[in-house]
Amino acid sequence: ENSPAPLPERAIYGFALFLGAWFGFILYLIWAYIPEAWLFSLGLTYWPQKYWAVALPVYLLVAVGIGYILLFGINMMSTAPLSSTQTITDNFAKKQQQQKFQEEAIPALRDIPISEVNRMFFLPEK
Amino acid sequence: CRELAVRGPRLQLRSLSAATSAVWLAAYGLFALSENSMVLSAAIFITLIGLIIYLHFVKIDQESLLVIGSLGIQVTSSYASGKESTTFIEMGKVKDVVINEAIHMQKVIYYLCILLQDPEDPQGVSEVVPLFQSSKPCLDCLIEVYKSCQEILEQRKTAPQSS
Repeated sequence: ENSPAPLPERAIYGFALFLGAWFGFILYLIWAYIPEAWLFSLGLTYWPQKYWAVALPVYLLVAVGIGYILLFGINMMSTAPLSSTQTITDNFAKKQQQQKFQEEAIPALRDIPISEVNRMFFLPEK
Repeated sequence: CRELAVRGPRLQLRSLSAATSAVWLAAYGLFALSENSMVLSAAIFITLIGLIIYLHFVKIDQESLLVIGSLGIQVTSSYASGKESTTFIEMGKVKDVVINEAIHMQKVIYYLCILLQDPEDPQGVSEVVPLFQSSKPCLDCLIEVYKSCQEILEQRKTAPQSS
């Protein structure tokens, strides 16, 4: 049902978007380059100031650059501090139920408490 | 009863002289621009006060862990100026001492921490107290400290039965 295969409708949407993008670009070039006097003589008087033809791309690029730094910072802020219990356990691990031990069967998957993990790793003598 | 101490790196002479020279060069630059001689005396003052504050509040020389099986755990940090700050956690609150791994500043580090018991839930952990935050020992050192602590903590489980 939801396959990414090419369909006739998708081809038409794509072509419409392609034409729309070209139209938007040509319109932007006309607005940015053609002098105001010529546009007024055609009757097109209520267009935004040409200042924005330069300002908007600059705003976008600066936002993208700051976005890199912002994402990095948000990642660092959401990391749990060293003194929080989130580094050891969470709600799912606290509520897990103990499965009964069956002979000859693979033990059920569970979250092993950190004390047990430490004992396994660090206590046995080599 | 055991005391385990980890010593941090000593204050380096070259970093001290680098910081002092940087501050004094900046002050000399400001003096050259503004022709105000107070800038130079202010720079000397700032350097001295900054060094004293750094030695008294920031630079930790040695962090030690004193584990007494029946009483509790005492964590001591001694600063370079001689100040010592201690924290005591009684044994009833201590659940375990473990080596935990966590993400810290784009790295995964091992650090020793004390798990405090949750009064309501016998299996739960109410708080995590990280140890040796300034001296940051490596994993081999942490394993030694961990084995030492576990020997003492095991005795407290068997002690009530023997006494």
